[in-house]
Amino acid sequence: MSKILIGRYVAGDSIIYRMDPRGKLLATIIFILFVFLANNPVTYLIVTIFSIAAVAATKLKPKVFWDGVKPLIWLILFTSFLQLFFSVGGTVYWQWTIFALSSYGITNAIYIFIRFTVIILISTVMTVTTKPLEIADAIEWLLKPLKIVHVPVDKIALIMSIALRFVPTLFDETLKIMNAQRSRGADFNNGGLVTRAKAITPLLVPLFINSLETAIDLSTAMESRGYRGDQGRTKFRILKWSNVDLINLIYFILLLGLLLIFRTH
Amino acid sequence: MTTDSIIKIKNVSFTYPESETPAIDNISLDIKRGSWTSIIGHNGSGKSTIIRLINGLLVPDEKGKPEIEVDGLKLNDDTVWEVRNKVGIVFQNPDNQFVGATVADDVAFGLENRGVSHSEMVKIVPEAIKAVGMSEYTNAEPANLSGGQKQRVAIAGILAIKPKIIVLDEATSMLDPEGRDQILSIVQAMKNKYDLTVISITHDIDEANMADQVLVMNDGKLITKGSTKDVFSQVDLLKKLGLDVPFYEQVKAKLLADSVKIPASIDSEKELINYLCQLNSNM
Repeated sequence: MSKILIGRYVAGDSIIYRMDPRGKLLATIIFILFVFLANNPVTYLIVTIFSIAAVAATKLKPKVFWDGVKPLIWLILFTSFLQLFFSVGGTVYWQWTIFALSSYGITNAIYIFIRFTVIILISTVMTVTTKPLEIADAIEWLLKPLKIVHVPVDKIALIMSIALRFVPTLFDETLKIMNAQRSRGADFNNGGLVTRAKAITPLLVPLFINSLETAIDLSTAMESRGYRGDQGRTKFRILKWSNVDLINLIYFILLLGLLLIFRTH
Repeated sequence: MTTDSIIKIKNVSFTYPESETPAIDNISLDIKRGSWTSIIGHNGSGKSTIIRLINGLLVPDEKGKPEIEVDGLKLNDDTVWEVRNKVGIVFQNPDNQFVGATVADDVAFGLENRGVSHSEMVKIVPEAIKAVGMSEYTNAEPANLSGGQKQRVAIAGILAIKPKIIVLDEATSMLDPEGRDQILSIVQAMKNKYDLTVISITHDIDEANMADQVLVMNDGKLITKGSTKDVFSQVDLLKKLGLDVPFYEQVKAKLLADSVKIPASIDSEKELINYLCQLNSNM
């Protein structure tokens, strides 16, 4: 189980993989904002086409993206359902007590459905093609302006990278402790809510102690390797913009332009 | 100022805040430049504490005017970072000393702390990784490495900062025999190549046997020191302290008990084998 996919990164090779993570992170945020610019069928079609283009550019199997949408499918359907039956306006086709099916409701439901799906798709494109470590680097870059207001960005970055590095280690540790406790008769999968919550104690307590010991060991090791806070620290891992990132930029200028042109005011 | 001894410790004691008795009790010792020193002793005898005192992670008790000198530098608040530049430590648990998210990041960590420029780092890091034979794992994540490989990365991280002294703080105790042998041969090779001083804290008697000098500790005190020959021939003392003796000494003791006369001068497995073969042919 040590091959756990943190953040569900899927190895692959396509243009999107070679893009700078900072560009991808910014693009994802901007895309989500842009989606709210769409307000008529044409603009929604444009947004859909652009997100499908991004998905296609990853060259990954559609199943990967379906896995991204799946956990949120009920939320999407529930929200669309609410829009469908509770919007009032336009031609009313059918009405029963508070439920009403109107042309306005139908279009709204479709819009909401598209909005949700494209946002999830684009964020999936981002997380699936970017290593968690690169995302951490990108977040650090994005937070850099906060240095002016004395936010310890470098320390936060180090914390993020150590946290990410220990996710698989702690996961392994958890499995080991679970198996060890199981071999002494602990039962993690049966019983009611209270019984199960109690069964977790023999798992959590050693895990906590382990993490604290690891933290002490790690800090000793870091200090003996010359770590003394932020001052004078350089960075080994640096990100570089390349020509591929221009595609990202053009994509968004195009999207913004088309949305502004076809948008109804 | 170069002296013959790279580490000088005088009248050093150390008491952990929560404990009554000192973990290190008035120890003085010298370690020769370019030597391999092993420190042995049972658990809690103060072996690891000594190392933490030498690189300033712990500060010795005031009484008795303690003095610690590393490579001609007196250890104090101003020099502690310079001293840490000279001492590289490989710790026991390979998982808990891996800072970076990948092998290259981890090797670069020490360089980053010292403000080495990026252009220099990209030169030093691959070299250090190559020196420990981990080149094909440059971008591997720690979760995908074995314990022995992680320890090799730790050594690479130390080589990158070019220290004078390399300390193995029970660095091989969590490894399988193969991993242990690899680590030891890498350290031996590095010692010769860069003229390093090696201090190895160990429970493993074969590892201790690689040393020029062996220090035996018990309850914070230095019980005896000397060459492997001097120390390991004191079988009774070691047994009393609950320590192992090398295999050839065990065989010698058993044979002596069976009234086979083995001269006391035999101090290695090879010599013992030669002697026994000769004895056999003379019969």
